[in-house]
Parts: sequence; C-alpha cells; structure tokens
Amino acid sequence: MPAVLEVRDLTKTFGGISAVSGVSFDVHDGEILGLIGPNGSGKSTLFNCILGQLTPSAGDVRLDGRAITGMRPCDLNLLGVGRTFQLLQVFPQLSVRENLILAGQEHLGSMWSRLAGQPDAGLSGAANQMIEFFRLAAVADERAGALSYGQQKLLDVAMAFMAGPRLVLLDEPAGGVNPTMLAGLRERLRAINETGKATFVVIEHNMEFVMSLCTRVLVLVEGRIIAEGAPEAIRDNRDVIEAYLGH
Amino acid sequence: MTFARNARLIAAVAVAALLLAAPFGLKPYGIYLLSLWVVMTIAAIGLNLTLGYAGQISLAQASFVGIGAYTAALLTTQGWPLAAAFVLAAVLCFVIGWLLGYPALRVQHHYLAFVTLAFATLVFLILRNEEWLTRGVYGISGIPRPTVLGWSTQGPVDFYFFCLGMLALVSAATWWLIRSPWGRAFTALRENAMRASSLGVDTRRYTLMAFAIGSVLGGISGVLYAPLVQFIEPTAFALGLSLNLLLMVIVGGSGYFFGPFLGAAVSVLLPEWLRFSEGLYLILYAVFVMILMAFFPSGLLGLAERLHKRAGTPAPGPAVPTRDGEAS
Repeated sequence: MPAVLEVRDLTKTFGGISAVSGVSFDVHDGEILGLIGPNGSGKSTLFNCILGQLTPSAGDVRLDGRAITGMRPCDLNLLGVGRTFQLLQVFPQLSVRENLILAGQEHLGSMWSRLAGQPDAGLSGAANQMIEFFRLAAVADERAGALSYGQQKLLDVAMAFMAGPRLVLLDEPAGGVNPTMLAGLRERLRAINETGKATFVVIEHNMEFVMSLCTRVLVLVEGRIIAEGAPEAIRDNRDVIEAYLGH
Repeated sequence: MTFARNARLIAAVAVAALLLAAPFGLKPYGIYLLSLWVVMTIAAIGLNLTLGYAGQISLAQASFVGIGAYTAALLTTQGWPLAAAFVLAAVLCFVIGWLLGYPALRVQHHYLAFVTLAFATLVFLILRNEEWLTRGVYGISGIPRPTVLGWSTQGPVDFYFFCLGMLALVSAATWWLIRSPWGRAFTALRENAMRASSLGVDTRRYTLMAFAIGSVLGGISGVLYAPLVQFIEPTAFALGLSLNLLLMVIVGGSGYFFGPFLGAAVSVLLPEWLRFSEGLYLILYAVFVMILMAFFPSGLLGLAERLHKRAGTPAPGPAVPTRDGEAS
C-alpha cells in the first residue's frame, strides 16, 4: 500500500527537553494506525508537529509525497488532513448544524465566492447527512455548548470528516465517552474507513478501543517509538507491557 | 415560533415607523441627537463586527471615525462631493484597518488593546500636530452637507434622513455579512481560533478582514459625523470616543446584531433623557452603566435573552450566536 503520510526523523525539543526524538513511520492508504503510549510520551506533541500546530525542531513530514513540514493547519486541512484534539473543540455558540457547515465551508470556492454565495455555503444537505450518520438529529439545532459531553465528542469527530478528508488524526476520541456511545463511535469510524474514504491515525488510552479498531499500532515512550505491529503482537510485547503498563 | 416571528416583525415595523416619525416631533437639538445616535450606531456596528463577532478587541475605533471625518472635511470644503469622501475614507480605513490587524496575529486580549491604543494615540497626534493637513487644534469648520440627486440635506431633518438611509444600508450589508460563511468564520475565530484553523479557516486572513471591515464602518461613520457637526477638531476623536464606542457595543450586547443600536441609544440618548435630574444626570447615567455591567455583563440583549429563557417563551435569540455563554 502506498504511504499517505511519511514522518521522518521528527524531533521536537522544548528548551533542553526532547518531547519527540527522531520519530519515523509511515501511514498507509486505508489503514487505521493506533498511536499509544503513557501520559507524557509525546503523542500529542507528535500530532501537533505533523499538523502544523507546532514547528518541528528537525525532521520531515510528507503527505502523498509532498513536503508539508511546518505548513499552516488551515492549509493542511485544505489538502485533506482532518483532526480532532485531545480536549473537546466544538464551537459552543454555534448550532450542531452550523458547526458542521463551518467544518466544510472553507473547502468550497474562494473566500470571495463564499461571501457572495448562500449563507449555508450549500452544505445543509451534507451537514444533515453527517448529523444522521452520527445520530445527532435530535440536537441538530441546539447550540453545541448545550450538548452532553458524549454528544459534543461525536460532533467533534463528525466535524473532522465533514470536508471528506483523506487522512484524519484523532486525538483520544474515546476519552470521556460512555461505553454505549463508544461502540457507536467505533462502528462509525469503521464504516467511514471501510468505504475507503479516510485513513486514520488514532491516539488513544482506551486499549480495548485501540485493539478493536486499529489495524496497526505504534508505541511511543519518552518521545521514541519502541514497538510497532499488529494489535495482538503489541498486546503481548514484553517491552510494551513493561514500559506502557509499568509491569 | 410564528408568534415570535410576527412579534419581531411588528416590533421592527414599529421601530422603523418611530425612527421615521421622530424628527417631526423634535426640536433641532433633538434631531441632532437622533442623527448623532445614527452616526455612532454605524461606528459601533463596525466595532461589534471586530470585537463582538470576530473577538478582536480594538481601542482605535475613534481613530477611524476621525480618519473618515477628516477625509470628508478636507474633501468637501474643497468642493468635492461627499460620495468621494465615502470612497476615499472606505479605502483608507480598509488599508489602515488591515495593517492594524497584523498585531492581532501575534497578540490578543489586553495586549492587543494596548497595541490599538498606541495606534489611536498616533492618529490623535497626527490630527493635532500636522497642521498643514488637519489645521491642528483650530479644526476645520464650514463643512457642507451634501446634495444627493438634487435633494439638499442642509436642514436637520433632511440630514437625519440621509444618515438614517446610510444606517439602513450599513445594517443590511452587515446582516448579510454575518449570515454568510464569513460570519460563521468570524464566530469560529472568536470562539476557538486553533480549532477553526484545523478546519481550514484561514484565521490570519479573517482576522485582518474583521479589522478592515470594522474600520471601514468607523470611517463611514466619520464621513457622516463631519457634515453633521460641521466643525471638527482632534479631541473629538481621542481615546474617550473609542471607550464610548466600546461601551456601546458591550452595553447593547457584544455579538448581537442589534446590540450597537441599543448601546448607542444608551450612550448618546440616555444622558439627555436623564437631564430632568439636572446636575445629577451624569451620576445617574454612570450608576446605570455600572449596575448593568456588574449584573448583566452580556449587555441589554443578553439580559433580554436570559429573561426570555427564564419565562419559558421562545427566545428571539441573537442574529447569530453570541459571545457570552453565560447569557444563553
């Protein structure tokens, strides 16, 4: 499978502290790659370096062979890279539908054509489909800030898919979500992946979620990758058990 | 919902009728105050766009009113039509506002307030010291009122209607803007710029655009202000006016479409209505503002929204989502 994302020798230091040290990996087309590691292992820093929120101290990131290192997050998104954050990041004063329309509108036309176009940028239909898909119809016109945590989490994830991205990096999508809703989220992520619409990288602490969703897992400890492989192999890896679980 | 929509429609027609009929029952000073309310409302709409919708604080709105006013004064006293002043002021304010937005890409909140304060001071010093251009502290007098397609606006009632027409145009344009995808992007910029950026929103360009458009509305307000008062001098555009405009936006309800209308009414008209109390009127005004801000920081429209929700009736709600989560 061709690599959608290539990360080479990525390093990020804060003063004298190295949060990410020479990390290299590929993300292949259509896979769901899990990225696990204990708290403070550098997972979110790695995401932020890949996604332009942080400038890497060294290293190279490529999307479909194109250098994207240090590119602005908005430009990366327009290239087809979606993301969610570790903490909920919806727009609380916008309705669920408007959150979704916002998540797609910048991909349509130019800034000026959007100004002259329809208020919904022609995205109401697509937003409604996404609302149905993530089972948010009952709260579609509610302000996002009035939703339960789990519903906001679903909306947060739905927003990442609104523009039909090629690659989505999900930072702890299962965090704080109850088991019933979590099963639904996993089912939807699988469905999107199976239709070939998106390749995922998922940071997650919920091992059951990672092992049941991901096709391959990377383990990051103290800013370095210590193991890589199929979920079953990672589960039994002695180094991972020692470093990650503290056994 | 239909009842709420009808109620809003009736209220809008009633307010429009009141604004159209008001000058006929007022003395010249009353008409002047109404005109001043209209002019200040336009400037406050501009600041509401920058601050209320896009979340970028500015203490420099008076500077753009000043740039607009001096553009109008300098051109019209040389025989140019006011339309030329509108165009030149809009272009000047757009460019300067765009440039003023650059610091907002690096700093926010009170740091940004100080950057814009420094700009306001710079503009004030230019207006005061560059006598060759602005006539300094002597000001510019004899600013003519325009004749529009044969209609002379020399009289106070005519000029009031001219200003009211401009307010209608500005309001319609702003309504269209905030309901467009740009309005949604401005709101996203205010609420969470990092997330907005991750969704493809070019936060840099929208920030600059929010400053530029807000500044243009300040300039348009200034172009109307100069022929309204017919004499301008630098102190009219000092920090006091910027703070007053900020007060209008916040008292009315920052991020509410009609907030600037109400806020400007409180700032321009309320002190005059309180004059029955003679020497106490400014004290009463200050106490009103302090109580309002202390107990209802989301402004008059935020308070109205809260009361609607408490009463269990369908709230008319803001034209677009508001800034203050507590108010909702």
